[in-house]
Amino acid sequence: MRLSQKVKLLSAALVPMLALTACSGGGSGGGADGGGGDEKAKITVWSWDGTVEKAVPGFQAANPNITVEVVNAGSSQDEYKALDNAIQAGSGVPDLVMFEYFAVPYFAVPGKLADLGEFGVDKLKQDYVPAAWSDVTINGKVYALPSDYGPSAMFYNAATLKKAGIKEPPATWDEYYEAAKKIHALGDDYYIAQDTGDIFFLLSLIWQAGGRPFKVDGTKVHIDFTDPGTTKAVAFWQKMLDEGLINTKITGWSDDWNRALNDGTLATQTMGGWLTSTLPERAPKASGDFRVALMPQWQQGEKVGAANGGSSFGIPAAAEHKEAAFKFLEYFAHGGGLSSRVDAGAFVPNMSVLENDAFQSKPNTYFGDQKVGAVLAEASEIVGSGWQYPPFFEWARSIYGDLASPFYTTGKGSLAEILEQWRQRCIQYGNEQGFEVS
Amino acid sequence: MELTATAPPRSGRQAAPTAKRRKSQIGLAFIAPFGALFALVFIVPILYAAYLSFFQDKLVGGNTFVGLANYGKLFQDPQFWDGVGRVFRFTLVQVPIMLIFAMALALALDSMRLHGTKFLRVTIFLPYAVPAIVATLMWGFLLGIKYGLFGSLNEALGTDIDPFSPGTTLISIGVMVTWAFTGFNMLIFYAALKAVPRELYEAAAIDGANEFQIVRAIKLPALRGSLVVTIIFSIIGTFQMFNEPQILPSMVANSGVTTFYTPNLYAYNLAFTGSQQGYAAALALVMAAITIVVAYAVQIRGLRNASDQ
Repeated sequence: MRLSQKVKLLSAALVPMLALTACSGGGSGGGADGGGGDEKAKITVWSWDGTVEKAVPGFQAANPNITVEVVNAGSSQDEYKALDNAIQAGSGVPDLVMFEYFAVPYFAVPGKLADLGEFGVDKLKQDYVPAAWSDVTINGKVYALPSDYGPSAMFYNAATLKKAGIKEPPATWDEYYEAAKKIHALGDDYYIAQDTGDIFFLLSLIWQAGGRPFKVDGTKVHIDFTDPGTTKAVAFWQKMLDEGLINTKITGWSDDWNRALNDGTLATQTMGGWLTSTLPERAPKASGDFRVALMPQWQQGEKVGAANGGSSFGIPAAAEHKEAAFKFLEYFAHGGGLSSRVDAGAFVPNMSVLENDAFQSKPNTYFGDQKVGAVLAEASEIVGSGWQYPPFFEWARSIYGDLASPFYTTGKGSLAEILEQWRQRCIQYGNEQGFEVS
Repeated sequence: MELTATAPPRSGRQAAPTAKRRKSQIGLAFIAPFGALFALVFIVPILYAAYLSFFQDKLVGGNTFVGLANYGKLFQDPQFWDGVGRVFRFTLVQVPIMLIFAMALALALDSMRLHGTKFLRVTIFLPYAVPAIVATLMWGFLLGIKYGLFGSLNEALGTDIDPFSPGTTLISIGVMVTWAFTGFNMLIFYAALKAVPRELYEAAAIDGANEFQIVRAIKLPALRGSLVVTIIFSIIGTFQMFNEPQILPSMVANSGVTTFYTPNLYAYNLAFTGSQQGYAAALALVMAAITIVVAYAVQIRGLRNASDQ
């Protein structure tokens, strides 16, 4: 028997039991899916975004029948594995789950996520940054609500730049290249940035340059790393690496990275806007030194951005209390609970927040009282549209390191060759998994 | 010695058939609780893995029966054999070094010429009690070349050694594993030495044997049985290596650790990142078979040698 059938049978067996318990508990007994409506429901939320919890008290006050339990089931891959296990086992499936944008197709395409269209999700569309909305829309259906966003921005250490004699942060990638040389001239430990095979960074560079290497149409996936945008971005980064302007010894999120951010030897980080809340914890000693700017541009005077990370929440198809789950989702990702999360540091792709004066004019002490919100709001609104991730991106990114590592350690080969190998592996894997990949 | 225990007396042989049956039924009742648990946590999972290994669950198209296709693919998978080769090489080098260390320590403790043996015993054993994840993090810091101990050493000596480059990572993992398990193996050896009757030493002393002769003629032969046990434990342990290569990549850049660095790590990534549970199950079973074959080969050889004595 197929596992999914088992799941269905099991849930079919469970629903009457739940209905019974609900009746014996004195419930009015009217909800259609055994969870929403007026009935008491307890929903389980899997989230590694700490701000979601802030929305719970307000929600429960407004919906006394629904109890929300927020659980941290691990971050990213760990959580996806746990969810896959729960779906396979047919028990312990949460009602609401956090997904990075690239992971949404992985769960949505094989039918593991509920289509949110039945809850009237379409009327929320106007409130979201278009690129974020397209991240959760797969083949025309919406499977998740964006909950935080990662518009790519350049965080730069103004003190280090000043030491290197750079007055303005690089506004184009050409200026970035010149700045990198000046920074490295400060000493052997000084670099403009680090890279040990960060695929998300490389993709954001490609994204901004107009490359769209993944084209997904239903189960058809086309991969091409030779379009002009991709070629331009890859060639540029290859040059940076070849000339030794990038630190390839320090890996992001490691202890070494923290230290280098603290002592100012890593001058910039071109990353998602979410770094705003992480950087003060990672580099407390550099307080007051960092500033935020838009990503350097490919053409002087242009304004195009990209996204790097960000996440959303979806409802598993096997969840018990879908209606109640959507109620809470709508509350914390769009409705009354949004402000409590923003106050707690969440960076959300909601227009109502981004366009808000208070958000845009609030100075951030860590960033030397810069109005960070205004920069990131602009970075969000200029994110290039039409980017797609293949449904097996989770797997693809996990093996990228295997392919990239030899180049980063020995300098043999090139990024273009790595991407071509990566494409071949993706084609092989994707076809094995039942997609039509070319 | 534990491995040369004699068979129990077969007194029931002449008894009437009914009595014999009743007796065996009582025996069954005694092992039933164990049997049930054993089946539940051991037999059933293996059978389930075997069942899974005949299927391929595609992201599109669902679960289909593929017969032995997963096994066929596995035998031609260079990534799998790369991992197998790595744990074999690791075992061949690391296990002898660790066991020689452990044996030397056990002999030293047993020589009764040291002070504070109880303290030493606990200290040497202590690393075994440190969870592998914590140990890996700790060694990651110790061996780090940027801010770690190795960085300072390189600076002081003017060298440029990186313990976590693709060529050296396996050696560093060997150091970690040796550190963690030497104490455990030492305890096994030490227990075997403690079981040697003291009269043998007295007799040896009267015959005028010196300490080295005692070690060679009495102590080392006494350790033979436990040596077989420790080798088997070590082989099983190293073939299942997982924690170290799983954690290292998040600490150090480009250490050469791939997603298929060891068979176990490969199985984990196949099952949970690539959602190829069937393929991962086939890998796990083949790896278990390889481990069993190697462990049995060691055991049979070790026992034959032991009985030659």
